Amino acid sequence: MATVLNEKERGALTHPDVESFGQVNRDILKILSRPGKGWWALFSVAVLGVGLFFTCWIYQIITGIGVTGLMSPVGWGVYITTFVFWVGIAHSGTLISAILFLFRAPWRQSIYRAAEAMTVFAVMTAGLFPLIHLGRVWHGYWLIPYPNSRFLWPNFRSPLLWDVFAVTTYFTVSAVFFYLGTIPDVAAARDQAKGLRKKLYQVVAMGWRGTDREWHHFGKAYVFLAAFATPLVLSVHSVVSWDFAMSIVPGWHATIFAPYFVAGAIFSGVAMVITLTVPLRKIFGLEAYLTVKHFDAMAKLILLTSLIVLYAYMSEFFMAWYSGEEIERAMFWNRLFGDYWWATWTMLVCNGLIPIMLWFKRIRHSIPALFVISLFINIGMWFERYVIIVTSLSHEYEPFAWGMYRPSLVEMGIMVGSFGWFFFWFLIFTRILPPVAIAELKEVLPQPLRGSRKEGVA
Amino acid sequence: MTDGIKRRDFLKVVGAGGAGATMFGCSTERVEKLLPYVIPDEETVPGVSTWYTSVCGECPAGCGVWVRTREGRVVKVEGNPDHPISEGTLCSRGYSAVQGLYNPDRLSSPLVRGADGFSPIGWDEAEDLLARRLDEGDNHLFLAGRMGPSLTNLVEDFLSGVGGVRREYEGLSEAPLREATRIAFGRARIPTFDFAQARLVYSFGADFLETWLSPVEHHRGFSQMAGVDDHGSKGRMVFLAPRLSLTGQNADEWVPLKPGSEAVVALAMAHVIVQEGGDAGPYYQRLLENYDPRSVEEASGLPAEEIEALARQFVEDTPSLAVGPGVAGHHRNATAANLSVHILNFVAGNIGRTVRLQEADRAAPAHPYGELASAISAMSDAGVVMVHGTNPAYSLPVGAGFGQAFASAGFRVSFASEMDETAELCDLILPDRHPLEAWGDSNPRPSLYALQQPAMQPVSTFESKQVGDVLLSVALRTGNDFGAPTFFDYLQREWQLHQSRLAPGRAFDEFWRETLRKGVVVSPDAFPEGPISLRSPDAILSFDVPDLDGDGEFALIVYPSPRFGDGRHANRPWLQELPDPVSKVTWHSWVEVHPAAAERLEVRTGDLVSVRSPHGEVEVPVWTYPGIREDTVALAMGGGHESFGRYAQGMGVNAMDLLPAEVEQPSGALVHLATRVDLVPTGSRRPLATIEGSSDQHNRPIAPAVGLPVLGPVEAGSQEESHDEGAHGELKEIQAMGGFAPVATEGKPEDFPLEGSRYGQYDPEENPRWAMSIDLDKCTGCSICVTACQSENNVPWVGEEQVAMGRDMHWIRLERYYETVDASHPGPLDVRFLPMICQHCGNAPCEPVCPVYAAYHTPEGLNAQVYNRCVGTRYCANNCPYKVRVFNWFGFTEMAKPGDEPSVAPAEPMNWGFNPDVTVRSSGVMEKCSFCVHRIREAQNRARVEGQRPLEDGEVIPACQQACPAQAITFGDIRDSHSRVAQATQNERGYRVLDEHINTQPAVTYLKKVTFHEVDSGEH
Repeated sequence: MATVLNEKERGALTHPDVESFGQVNRDILKILSRPGKGWWALFSVAVLGVGLFFTCWIYQIITGIGVTGLMSPVGWGVYITTFVFWVGIAHSGTLISAILFLFRAPWRQSIYRAAEAMTVFAVMTAGLFPLIHLGRVWHGYWLIPYPNSRFLWPNFRSPLLWDVFAVTTYFTVSAVFFYLGTIPDVAAARDQAKGLRKKLYQVVAMGWRGTDREWHHFGKAYVFLAAFATPLVLSVHSVVSWDFAMSIVPGWHATIFAPYFVAGAIFSGVAMVITLTVPLRKIFGLEAYLTVKHFDAMAKLILLTSLIVLYAYMSEFFMAWYSGEEIERAMFWNRLFGDYWWATWTMLVCNGLIPIMLWFKRIRHSIPALFVISLFINIGMWFERYVIIVTSLSHEYEPFAWGMYRPSLVEMGIMVGSFGWFFFWFLIFTRILPPVAIAELKEVLPQPLRGSRKEGVA
Repeated sequence: MTDGIKRRDFLKVVGAGGAGATMFGCSTERVEKLLPYVIPDEETVPGVSTWYTSVCGECPAGCGVWVRTREGRVVKVEGNPDHPISEGTLCSRGYSAVQGLYNPDRLSSPLVRGADGFSPIGWDEAEDLLARRLDEGDNHLFLAGRMGPSLTNLVEDFLSGVGGVRREYEGLSEAPLREATRIAFGRARIPTFDFAQARLVYSFGADFLETWLSPVEHHRGFSQMAGVDDHGSKGRMVFLAPRLSLTGQNADEWVPLKPGSEAVVALAMAHVIVQEGGDAGPYYQRLLENYDPRSVEEASGLPAEEIEALARQFVEDTPSLAVGPGVAGHHRNATAANLSVHILNFVAGNIGRTVRLQEADRAAPAHPYGELASAISAMSDAGVVMVHGTNPAYSLPVGAGFGQAFASAGFRVSFASEMDETAELCDLILPDRHPLEAWGDSNPRPSLYALQQPAMQPVSTFESKQVGDVLLSVALRTGNDFGAPTFFDYLQREWQLHQSRLAPGRAFDEFWRETLRKGVVVSPDAFPEGPISLRSPDAILSFDVPDLDGDGEFALIVYPSPRFGDGRHANRPWLQELPDPVSKVTWHSWVEVHPAAAERLEVRTGDLVSVRSPHGEVEVPVWTYPGIREDTVALAMGGGHESFGRYAQGMGVNAMDLLPAEVEQPSGALVHLATRVDLVPTGSRRPLATIEGSSDQHNRPIAPAVGLPVLGPVEAGSQEESHDEGAHGELKEIQAMGGFAPVATEGKPEDFPLEGSRYGQYDPEENPRWAMSIDLDKCTGCSICVTACQSENNVPWVGEEQVAMGRDMHWIRLERYYETVDASHPGPLDVRFLPMICQHCGNAPCEPVCPVYAAYHTPEGLNAQVYNRCVGTRYCANNCPYKVRVFNWFGFTEMAKPGDEPSVAPAEPMNWGFNPDVTVRSSGVMEKCSFCVHRIREAQNRARVEGQRPLEDGEVIPACQQACPAQAITFGDIRDSHSRVAQATQNERGYRVLDEHINTQPAVTYLKKVTFHEVDSGEH
């Protein structure tokens, strides 16, 4: 929007080959034309994933939640791990589009659309998991406070109920924010589309004409929603972390959880943005718009949050030792050297050790290296939640009740399938909405000068 | 049961019910659909239980039972409080009788063998067939287990009519004990043992809390002896055996004798006692001279000083009592070993005090295997062989040759109600009724007579007929008339004879009804002990450590299973899934190996090994156990059924396969401790379905103990008080500001209701606060409460695979922690038991986290679980520090449908046994101990009906308390400061698990175990 950049800054954020506003329109809207083989291949895989996801889920509903590997004492496992993972992924979208917008970080322009889409779809994925893990999913609506003749209300003291509110609120706001940001671009797409597509865009664009007045209102609304979404970025994952922190399970009950989870969420979210944009850039030839500068900025954000997360790990272990509480100490000792040592060390290596490489500029500027690192972080962050949930529950107060949880194939199927579900939506998104914000990209281009270029403003 | 418990109204119904039962049994016709009564049965009030007295038929011990029926169906059995043997409790096997009655594997009709296997046959035809075969042949044989006196008489009458003999065989026969008693005192009988009177018990391997003779009776006596009393004194037990059974785990000291060395150790102790002034009579005096403690050091592996100290202790702490060895210790010199124990008791002056010869145990099986062995060798000459109540094809070693011999008999008939291994070999099967639907009697002591009456009409799914009725009917067909058309008439005739002695001058009808109502008659005759002297033996005996077959690395102990006995209870899912009290393993068999030996063999728990004796081989997973000598391994009986039903078949291994069919002389018992074995790792694994997480407390205050020396009036610990005050003050401050903060409490009666507790619209002043105390000094870890709870609360079983995953559903987890268990030398033993149930926390962590209020706090202080409201987030279970919440991962109570693959799911008619007062839970909901809330309501309703009177203390009895033979559990209203539970809470041994750590304010107060040795710290 109103980002004012000098010429030097602008030049750094787009490739010098991008010369005109018209070229931006053409380059980006080209993505929306006929899909290539690559897209179809990816889409088929995603559809298979969706199939796996629902097959497993339906099988679980018919047979019983016992098809999971869950047991006593580990009542939560892969499902809640994956829930927290996707909620965490959902974070960086709003962070990039709202917080970085408010802080006027110009490098967000190229990636924020993809990141926002990722947010919406990640919340859509995450939101299914609390339902999936219910013993009686058909009664899941009892968590919603609806008026009923028996005056039965949910328990407002339960963090799970807070979850319901936090996740639904976050979904609503990010969806609205996402939609609002796409309106000018949809209008641009409408102007080039034909047939049914055009009709669709006409509806979605709500008659956007690009008048000054419209831009003015748009800007106001955008700032307002950005300001509204910003606290949610912090609150959602804080609330999710309270699912754990509010309990008395050793390894869960810690005051550091809210900031720790928020940092972790941004960490994993930005890594996911890299994981998504690297292929996007390659497949759709967006090298001119997603430059090394963007990736460099994201890598720095990852480095920062990685350090925060590592600090949180250290402080957890330190506090367990420092507290002198035997049960807490035993739990953390078990976390490092017990039955689940491999998960803990995977987490520490992926989230603490590997991102250290990002101190080097050469690595930050190597797209393949960043892509690989981002994959490790995704794995590491999934394991972080697994470690928190499973190791804590398996080694609680009563030694005689300790036990080991092993995920079942159905759980793994649903976990893997959830990626299919996520990519299913994301791939559709890349076909129908410009995955890079056209209007905002233009803000970072040099102002067109009358007569100096052949083409004018679109 | 103690004085506080009054169930007069039950007795009233029982009386009416009993009288009615003589005429019509009880009331159900074949109910197929739910139909209202057109003309209601007078006895059956819908929603109200009718109780019948009877005799437990699960083992021969002869416990009295109360059978609870609802709408004409048996739903539970409990111990008869008026019966001197059971005094209100039963064992797990007894509580599982309901699953015997409704077992889906019971035969639905008589079966006859044709060319292509068994086919159903009508009762008339079947009886005709049997009568014909009896007429055709002669020299018949009737193989039977221990039966009641009237049935025994009938069988004898029958056999004298048709020409044949009866041979008794029970897998767990105490023949050596009877023979030793005959040799020593001239009385061929099983003595009774008074554990309650003893101050010191030496058990030479007798597992008297599990299977030995009369476990329920011993249990109660033992807990009276071993529980610390108000004066801070308690009795001691020393366990002298190579392996710790559950009984052994309850000892205060373990002397891990070499297998088979009981006799020499007992004699060496007697030697010391005699030297220091005891009298054993001239013959034994001479014998004992050979058993100087020094001379037996080698044989027993026990230092002489140790033996001397034990001997001196034995005469110092009188009355003392030595018992054993049990069936597991029946080696080639078992009679001599029993005799040695008798001598030890005699020189210590225990005979007539703690060992009673007059009030003998008549119910205990004591028939020698030798008699059966000779019958087996003569079987080819037998006309008809009838088998009732025993399963020799399973419970005898292969070497006994029962299978071949049985095949050579003329005609084979089984009265088994389920297709067991022996029935499978028969030509004709005439399924007997379950004891709960049949008439019978018992005479477990010379002075005790009890009646077994049917508590319901026979389960209509099965066309069964009581064996007595079959015999009478067949007898008529063979031309023998005993003047009684049915066994009921025969029984009454027998009891007319009893009446002339037990209650002369009374009308028989009145006597009969009175007996049915009470369940038991105690003879007015006295049985004075009189002077008893030791006789010189009239048989050749060797007291030496016997040789074991083969040269394997380990001696093999084959012991009776606390769950299955000799194997007859293996087809009951409750018992299969009951964690073995020692190993905590369910469903499968295991071989117990000392951890050091396992390390040597490079195996760990769950590794399959091949156990090889000179007589056979079995493949079974290892379970490492520090409670067994390094040179010994052990296997339980009761597993490895090849037939018998869906729950037993293929579960575990049959330990008898490793034993020779050898007869001990002179008693004729089967030798159980006979062989050495080698363990050969197979390289594969078969993980065991255990409920045990860690057997180490990891220094946590879960099951602390207190040393007897430090027990006593404790000075007011001012330091601790002030510390607590500070914490309380802070919490109060938070509350004053309107914050929600837990209320700390010491659990004193006046603390309730807790300040700031939320009671909603209820008035806490009106309501009790239910609480429980469990005395861990009395708890023996027997796990009977687990089965009783399962029966009471419709707790499902889940099968081996699910237990292995950690999904067992029991509402009571009997935790077992090892503190000091050392097989390498004698010394203090410390094993802690703790029944972990829902603690009904005053400040329950499970309640605030439930998003739908399925877990909530009732105004009576109960932590309730609303099954219908539960959506299954499992957050409550995660947040429960005691891990007592169990989840229905599948619909475990859904019935198996005909045509389903064989599974462990409940099958018709097992659903008949569900308690109608308790909801059956569906898939996806959480459940847990409810403090038997339905029993609370029942008592409250009764009090209300009886003129709005207040509940008396002790009127509400949860199922676990009812079942606890050690009487470790007390339940009541803690707000009534006079209640026993409130007083127990004030006991100086009282503590609440983890309360100091997490301020959960449990309603369950545990009383610390008391040890003779010092415990490390205040906490432990």
